[in-house]
Amino acid sequence: MNVSSITTTRTAILVAGLFLLSACATGPKAPEAPLDSRVKLTQLQSDPQLATRAPVELQAAEAAVKMAEMPHKDAEYATHLILLADQKVEIARARAQARQYQDQREALSAESERARLDSRTREADRARSDATSARADAASARDEVAASRAARLDLERQIAELNARETDRGLVVTLGDLLFATGKSDLTGGARPNLDKLAAFLGEYPDRTVLIEGHTDSVGSEESNYFLSQRRAESVRSYLVSRGVQANRLTTAGLGQGSPVASNDTATGRQQNRRVEVIISNTATISGVN
Amino acid sequence: MLRQLRSVQAIRGLPVYIALAAAGLLALAGCATPPAPPTEALQAAESAISNAEQARVADYASVELSTARQKLASANTAARNDQMVQAEYLAIEARTHAELALARAEERRAKAVNDDMQKSIDVLKEEMKRATGARQ
Repeated sequence: MNVSSITTTRTAILVAGLFLLSACATGPKAPEAPLDSRVKLTQLQSDPQLATRAPVELQAAEAAVKMAEMPHKDAEYATHLILLADQKVEIARARAQARQYQDQREALSAESERARLDSRTREADRARSDATSARADAASARDEVAASRAARLDLERQIAELNARETDRGLVVTLGDLLFATGKSDLTGGARPNLDKLAAFLGEYPDRTVLIEGHTDSVGSEESNYFLSQRRAESVRSYLVSRGVQANRLTTAGLGQGSPVASNDTATGRQQNRRVEVIISNTATISGVN
Repeated sequence: MLRQLRSVQAIRGLPVYIALAAAGLLALAGCATPPAPPTEALQAAESAISNAEQARVADYASVELSTARQKLASANTAARNDQMVQAEYLAIEARTHAELALARAEERRAKAVNDDMQKSIDVLKEEMKRATGARQ
């Protein structure tokens, strides 16, 4: 008797459990298996040819995938984040691939130049022309070293002016939340001087791409914080575009409350968490100069 | 009276949570009237799409670009129907699709250029081989 009642209870619990599970299917989706976007992103990150060619886009993709992986109560929000993560990973892949093609083009055009030259001057005195070009190469190499040293010094001065931190993610400029009206995404006047410097910097270094990340504290709903962080990142981007920075160099990511830098339990902590981080890519040319 | 009180608090930068609570109440009160459309997100989507159009993305990524346009149209429809949250999701997605269109077009265009270059190099080399076949 006792045993059978236990069995019945067990069955009832199981049935209830199943009901709960089925109810959950429409709610938050626990990411048991890795998301497609995570699998693709990992592939991309482990491809040395591609990973180095779109660092900013990869960071934006990483952020988007992380957000999609967190459990979310709102199904619509969760679906949106999964879609966005897929897109961002694919954008990073396409950009990296495009840059790889562009880099290969230099080798291709050198090859085509050589082939053309060969066909034209195969009768000419090769030894003499080689010697001349060797001297020219040495001179231009010396010039390049001097130029890159000057460029490095200039860059360091500008980084100091921007109040940027050099991190492994690139140069990071943090814009505090005082640059926005509370709960709003419009830039206040105080934001402009710093952003103008940033725009000037980007004008001088046209190879560099930028990721603009919006972050909030944990006050309010997740979705509204996500929207606010998106809008703030967007305002910074629009402003930079209005200052002449090409739109396709600027990537935005709204990260909501998911990546705090301080505790959300104190007012100071929350203020630190409300921020926009501008991450400027380190380019291959710069690391070559180091 | 109330306004003075609030501005005094703002100046002293005193309890932030009180200000936030007040903002929250205002936001709740705002919900009684229809919420504001996600103007910025819609504008960002529009400008990303026109950016992609200017870059002649359609030749190389027409599918992605039309997805972006469809999403933007749905976002506008949602906004007209006062479904502002959906409108904002759709607008952000439209923006991202336009960026994807641009990135894929860049990739395909770059590949096409390289393929052309490779072809012309092959032709040159072939000619060289024929011209100097005996000597090389």
